[in-house]
Amino acid sequence: MIQAIVHVTVNVLDQDEALNFYTNKLGFEVGMDMTVEGGFRWLTVFAKAQPELELVLAEPKEGPMFTKDSAEKIRALVAEGAFGVGVFKTDDCQKTYDELLAKGVEFTQPPTKQFYGIEALGKDNSGNWFSLTQETT
Amino acid sequence: MIKNFQYKKICLGRDFLAETYLDSFSLTKVAKYSCMSQYHFSRVFTKTFGESPNTFVTRLRIEKAQKLLITENFSIGKICERVGYSSVSSFSSRFSRTVGMSPTQYRRQLRSLSNEPRRFPLQSIPLCYAHHLFGLKYQGVKRAI
Repeated sequence: MIQAIVHVTVNVLDQDEALNFYTNKLGFEVGMDMTVEGGFRWLTVFAKAQPELELVLAEPKEGPMFTKDSAEKIRALVAEGAFGVGVFKTDDCQKTYDELLAKGVEFTQPPTKQFYGIEALGKDNSGNWFSLTQETT
Repeated sequence: MIKNFQYKKICLGRDFLAETYLDSFSLTKVAKYSCMSQYHFSRVFTKTFGESPNTFVTRLRIEKAQKLLITENFSIGKICERVGYSSVSSFSSRFSRTVGMSPTQYRRQLRSLSNEPRRFPLQSIPLCYAHHLFGLKYQGVKRAI
């Protein structure tokens, strides 16, 4: 039985800038930040209330996974906003939205009532979108 | 089957534990936070997540300790303190039971795998990432039992 999701990859354009965004703006914690053999940086962050699920902040670069051309295409798509990180749960969408907005986080939709709750849509500093959702109780 | 309102309450408790797992564990506190009795909270939590609240907290603490052993040069005593244990011996025995080796052995073994000075071995990150992102070759594929 699969018990849980523990790592999810988020393609980012710059790991330092992404780290600053996810920790200082969204309030995530650093999981791992280390340079492994070959000089690659393994960087993960997690939400304080969910330490077992880590977002792997990875820069698409030429290497075993991507050709130079593929890496450039992925980076262009990230910047365009073609990819999403997922849904971040909050117990107060309006309050969290106001806090994040004050920190300079970009939103494409303010808190809006949906049938499943209240949802705002934002973007990280690479261009990945995310949903900020307060579920209906 | 667990009811929706119960699921929400138990998730609240789980979030609370995940945020406070480095502090001292109190079933009374988390049950109260979820507006449930201790017995009921413990029973529903185990039924919902497949592990008891205590096991959940211990797992998070050991995982945190593993990370600290890799990334920091803290002493075992300091790591023990950082992950919410007051006794090094109970931390070490719990760690050994869970991981299969003592904290010191774990740190030494992992660091010895690196071929480059002051660099972490690729084995310290999940194999799928090491393979796809960094080009680590699979050592061989074992058949699923």
